[in-house]
Amino acid sequence: MGRRRRRVDRGAAVGALPKAIAALSRTLPAGPSPEIFRRAKFDRPEAAPALWQLLFRVLSPLSADGASASPAQGEPPSTEAQVRAVKSELRSQGYPRRALAQLPEDGSQGSRELLLALAWLLARGPLLERLLAQTRVRLGDEIPLCECEALARPGAPVPRVEADGPVDIRHLQWLMGKLRFQWRKLITSQQEQCALLGKIHSYTRGCHSDRSLGHLSVAETELLRDAEGGQQDTVLGTCPPEASQPTFVPRIPERGAGEWELVARELQALQEELRGAAEPRRAAWEARVGGWGPEWSAVQRASREAVGLELAALQRAWERGGAAAQPHGPCRLVKSDAGASGGPGLRAAQVIEVLRSREACLEAVLCQLQRQCRQELARLAGALPGLIWILPPGR
Amino acid sequence: MLPADCSRRLVAELRDALDACAERQRQLERSLRVSRRLLRTWEPAETPAPQPTPAPETSGEAPSPESTPSSQDLKELELLTQALEKAVRVRKGISKTGERHKALSLKSGSAATSATTASAPSRPSGQASCRVSETKPPRGIQQTVVPARGLPESRLLSVGDRTRMGRGSRATKPGPGPRDQQIPPSAALQAPEAFTLKEKGILLRLPMAYRKAASRNSRLWAQLSSAQTSDSMDAAATAKTQFLQKMQMTSGGPGSGLSAAAVEAEVGLLRTACLLLRRRMEEVLSADPADCMQEYRCLLTLEGLQAITEQCLHRLQELRAAVVGRQLGPWPVGRRPGASLPCGGGTDPLWSPQLLLYSSTQELQTLEALRLRLAMLDQQIHLEKVLMAELLPLVGTQGPHWLALCRAVHSLLCEGGERFLTVLRDEPAD
Repeated sequence: MGRRRRRVDRGAAVGALPKAIAALSRTLPAGPSPEIFRRAKFDRPEAAPALWQLLFRVLSPLSADGASASPAQGEPPSTEAQVRAVKSELRSQGYPRRALAQLPEDGSQGSRELLLALAWLLARGPLLERLLAQTRVRLGDEIPLCECEALARPGAPVPRVEADGPVDIRHLQWLMGKLRFQWRKLITSQQEQCALLGKIHSYTRGCHSDRSLGHLSVAETELLRDAEGGQQDTVLGTCPPEASQPTFVPRIPERGAGEWELVARELQALQEELRGAAEPRRAAWEARVGGWGPEWSAVQRASREAVGLELAALQRAWERGGAAAQPHGPCRLVKSDAGASGGPGLRAAQVIEVLRSREACLEAVLCQLQRQCRQELARLAGALPGLIWILPPGR
Repeated sequence: MLPADCSRRLVAELRDALDACAERQRQLERSLRVSRRLLRTWEPAETPAPQPTPAPETSGEAPSPESTPSSQDLKELELLTQALEKAVRVRKGISKTGERHKALSLKSGSAATSATTASAPSRPSGQASCRVSETKPPRGIQQTVVPARGLPESRLLSVGDRTRMGRGSRATKPGPGPRDQQIPPSAALQAPEAFTLKEKGILLRLPMAYRKAASRNSRLWAQLSSAQTSDSMDAAATAKTQFLQKMQMTSGGPGSGLSAAAVEAEVGLLRTACLLLRRRMEEVLSADPADCMQEYRCLLTLEGLQAITEQCLHRLQELRAAVVGRQLGPWPVGRRPGASLPCGGGTDPLWSPQLLLYSSTQELQTLEALRLRLAMLDQQIHLEKVLMAELLPLVGTQGPHWLALCRAVHSLLCEGGERFLTVLRDEPAD
């Protein structure tokens, strides 16, 4: 009985595989034909280029129309560039097999290894869903609550034409000023966009067939506006950019590994200071409290708990698990009256609270960095006597 | 003048930051253009201005004739729906390919015809107010396309009634009734009364085909996400983990499971942790305990901070061991994975988006302003770290114009470039 069932199962599995592969090849961007997959299983060289291309498309960020990640480059990158990019990206994601890194850069070999890599990507995470989510039409007005998706995209290594040669520090000051001004402009533009969005949502209240939404989004309103003119391309053209707002992808500093030493030094210095502060206090405390009564121990326990909670909250600021309550990914904006509690969806007030605490945390980090700089500069400046340093007011 | 390589790196960083800002600004302006256009009067048959160089709105062009209006984007929706369906099939391993395709092709066929009729309700005001005076709309051809409809018509009627009754001064002439006014879109374009979202936005209705496609779309997303929790998924999950483990084994030795990117991200987090711990320590040390209780709490806090610092150091050593053991080689170039603060969900797929409810424009503005501020702070922190790494060593070595350099560096690093300090020479009074 068992053997028969096993044979049936295997038969079902064997039957399902070609269909799955066929579906996969249709779903993936630049999906190779099922024949390519079959050839790759036997490590045929002719299957390799298609798989390199597939991996490149899958690993690089896709804009909504599936264009290449770096529009600035114009035409799609060469095979060598694609191969290099795929290797680098897989390695940084932790791909375990070294055989991939040793494949030739002309993309002519290694189809079986590439098939393994694809399987690895599919097994690790919801790759297909992520691809679909990237290319889907955004029907609503979306606001990404978390910038991490944007940051997680590998920055396209565009060879930048830079000002060679040394610059004066005043050039840097000028660039910083320009940056500050840009941010101010951004904030005002953003405020205006919010006001307009609020109006559109108010004016179309009651129009949506989906009662939980209640009003139309900009995309939907535009769909109706342009419905007669045969201008739907504009609708889809404007949909996706609302959702994808990449923040800057900073270059990695060329001595990235040096950060480890820096952090180690800082942590050790901090540990020393803490020990130096805590030990004498503990000694002094023990000396004072030595003979106190049992009612004091209850108070002590309460203090310990309170401090424990505070420190746990502090730790949450940087540990991964802490922000789990924060939703991930884009949310669709819906304007509804304040009384609507108990329905699905997040409330803006809650999100604002979470964002404010993150803001406080980041401000603390920035202040701390600036303080370190101030101390360091004071130390360096103190080496020169005969000067008076007047700090700027209003700190 | 700064040394050449230092200049190059710093200028590159600052330009990257400016580019990121500029990109955000571009996207914002695109959205602004779209929104402004929707809030203006909806002149028919305008050339839209979605391009970066917007052309002025031109009205009065001949409206494009009854080319299939909404089938274009319906096809797009349908393609995406098809892709979703395939994904569902890959999950379930069931083949309904045959009937699905048939159903879809039927749908796309009917979409074309239903589109013209379905978009008619989106112009109820135009029709209700269509004074058949100046330009008699050429109804001849179009009317044959329009079948008699039950429910949408009654909705149209009630909406039209509401329009007439609710808006006194704006009351349109009670025309012959909406039934006769079912002029398909292209003819309604010549309706003289303009449409503004403010006044008549409430009358808009989404086309039926769109609604059907959108609801099917969201149903499929829900199906996909619910399929995750079924039993077959557990079997798939174990198969996946086994496969991943096997891959790890064949690569020659058990790895730590960490990627170079993850290690780097965690080192960054530990740096942030160090800063925050130090800040708390300084707060505690500068506070003046008023009574025994506060003294005790200060002591406990310091000891707790010490324990956490040791944990962080330990974790740092672990990361170092992982890097060295796996010989990850040079750090990946051209990419920086982490922000200054982590975000919780890493593996959650981006399903059909959650709703975010806001109650007033002010609330939305606050929310967006905070988001921008967080992005700006993130950028500032990164720039601060980079500038510190490059400029502080320069101040350490005394060169020409050291004072000016020192003053400029102080302003950049300590005041965000906004304020300057003054240096005076301390001349002894002779």
